[in-house]
Amino acid sequence: MMPLDMRPDAVMQELMAYGQKLSHGVKNLMEVGEISTGVTPKTAVYTEDKLTLFRFDPDPKAVMSRTPLLIVYALVNRPYMTDIQENRSTVKALMDAGQDVYLVDWGYPDRADCFLTLDDYINGYLDRCVDVICERHRIDKVNLLGICQGGTFSLCYAALHPDKVKNLVTMVTPVDFQTPDNMLSHWVQQIDVDLVVDTLGNVPGEMLNWTFLNLKPYQLMGQKYLGLLDTLDDPEALKNFLRMEKWIFDSPDQAGEAFRQFIKDFYQQNRLLKGGLVIGEPVSLKDITVPVLNVFAEQDHLVPPDASRAMRGQLGTQDYTELSFPGGHIGIYVSGKAQKTVPPAIGKWLDARE
Amino acid sequence: MNAWLDSQQGYWKSWADLAQRGMKAPEAPKNPWADTVDQWWKSVSPMAPAPGRDVFDKLMDVSRGYFSLGERFFTQGQTGETGMEAVNGWLNGMQKMWTDWLQTGSQFRPDAMGKGFSTFWDLPLDTWQRLAANVMPMPGDFTHAYHPEGMGQPVRDQVNRFLSIPAVGYTRESQEQFQVLAQRQMDYAAAMQSYQMAFGKLAVETTRKFQEVMQKRVAEGKSISSLRELYDQWVEMSEAAYAEFVMTQEYQELYGRLVNTLLALKHHMARMVDQGLEAMHMPSHSEIRTLQCRQQETRRENLRLRKEIKAIQQQFESLRAQVLMSQAPQAEKPVRTVTTPVKKPGKSK
Repeated sequence: MMPLDMRPDAVMQELMAYGQKLSHGVKNLMEVGEISTGVTPKTAVYTEDKLTLFRFDPDPKAVMSRTPLLIVYALVNRPYMTDIQENRSTVKALMDAGQDVYLVDWGYPDRADCFLTLDDYINGYLDRCVDVICERHRIDKVNLLGICQGGTFSLCYAALHPDKVKNLVTMVTPVDFQTPDNMLSHWVQQIDVDLVVDTLGNVPGEMLNWTFLNLKPYQLMGQKYLGLLDTLDDPEALKNFLRMEKWIFDSPDQAGEAFRQFIKDFYQQNRLLKGGLVIGEPVSLKDITVPVLNVFAEQDHLVPPDASRAMRGQLGTQDYTELSFPGGHIGIYVSGKAQKTVPPAIGKWLDARE
Repeated sequence: MNAWLDSQQGYWKSWADLAQRGMKAPEAPKNPWADTVDQWWKSVSPMAPAPGRDVFDKLMDVSRGYFSLGERFFTQGQTGETGMEAVNGWLNGMQKMWTDWLQTGSQFRPDAMGKGFSTFWDLPLDTWQRLAANVMPMPGDFTHAYHPEGMGQPVRDQVNRFLSIPAVGYTRESQEQFQVLAQRQMDYAAAMQSYQMAFGKLAVETTRKFQEVMQKRVAEGKSISSLRELYDQWVEMSEAAYAEFVMTQEYQELYGRLVNTLLALKHHMARMVDQGLEAMHMPSHSEIRTLQCRQQETRRENLRLRKEIKAIQQQFESLRAQVLMSQAPQAEKPVRTVTTPVKKPGKSK
């Protein structure tokens, strides 16, 4: 038997069909209209510098949890991934699960922000956002949901301010930054981060884009677009694809000093796990005594599951739960299956600890 | 719109006819099928809206490679070769081309499949080149004009010796700056060359592994019956080989060197620009950074003091409330009235 059974006329037919799909696709492309992002209505309740704290408008008839849930997203990429489209909104699903949802939008740092440190972000901006929510609701503590790097920040915050956190949920959050399968970590070990920041000031979002795309270049920069061809006939599918593309390439610049510390202390020296991390004050995972729910993705190529699971046994809390999802780093937010399982599970876990 | 669609369908049908005839023509263009994609997109792209145009540009890049791949198999199929012979011919050709390039260090990277398929090999490097171009102050895609492959070690050694000559005279400092600049440029060029060479070796290894995969398919009785399936299998192999390579110590060092040398070059250029600005009594980048740093420190101090003041105010309010509470009972205590009955005069027992 021959492994290749392709006739020349079949190849020709295949490419003709390809060309016709392109033609149809361009028609839909011309009619696609504006690509909107972030579907759930929200209100800005606090702003400071480039930061905006949003509250997602609750349904007046809905019964909500007494303790609000603050979503802390990463500095890398934009938080509207959690609310990207109507049927793929983690925010909406959390609200349907009875949560009163707030979100920190870090904004787009510019060159004036290059001296913002992790201390400024975590003990400054994030702490003041928590204070605003506590004052609005006349409570002492909030629930935190940290995503990716935002989860790492949330862990640090919970360790530094245990009196202000009631429950902590982390999603696809790295704790061990040097697992053997962590490609990103492997690549940055020999980067002179001081030279990067001293030269560039803020680190361009483009540089991070290139790095992420190069994790799987042939799929993410090539094959993915061939896959697009099969969905071009469907205007909604095309719109969804364009929405994802917009998010993927919408990377803010990283404030230089925060980037410097994050790469050196977390990626290069793994201090969150090994100890020695200082963000204003010394940070120890053992100081986290609040209940923790750790959600991670089994096929995550950006934050390998072991990087997240490393939290187990390191925290000071006795109430630690894990929830794994069979998907990727982005799929945990946008896949239909994830929408049906993850936010309800988070809501249920929080309600049990209200 | 329907008329336009019909015309598009007609375009692809005509292309199919011409492609078949064109392959036999003695003066057929080198990459007619990939060119077809280019020409089609050039005619259509002005009408495409901005949000989708970038995505379609990327789709066109992939399409060129895909059409080149199809063209290869179609051509060889027409000469009577079987599919497997065509694949082996393609893979052997690519292996030889990359191996020759690695051995001779020729000036230009080979284009294994003509115009289209080279975009596949260039995918890991393409975004780096755009990034490098954006990071550097020079206009255009600076790194594309840079061809370090032709600069062998003897040439580099000679240039290094030249650059080490001590600068003399009144302008020695600026001479030294330019010497350092040239040295940094060469360091970056050398790092880029090493990086590209490593990917050349990866290409050879990928083609070898793909041949193994095809042999394995023979053993398992599986066959590939479409171009898309072949492409997907090729991508799967390439990703696996790439993932293995980029987790090696060698890659870590190459990547680190590439980033560090580019930024060392930019750092030095920025310093030279700053010196020029200072000479013209204009604000320089380093001055602005100092101001920004001090401003951020002042803001931090300001916020910390505000927090302390707020805490003190709260303590004060708490103490005040306690004091008022302790004073309040004395003020509100009711006055006790004692009445003494008045004795009437004259009556006694």
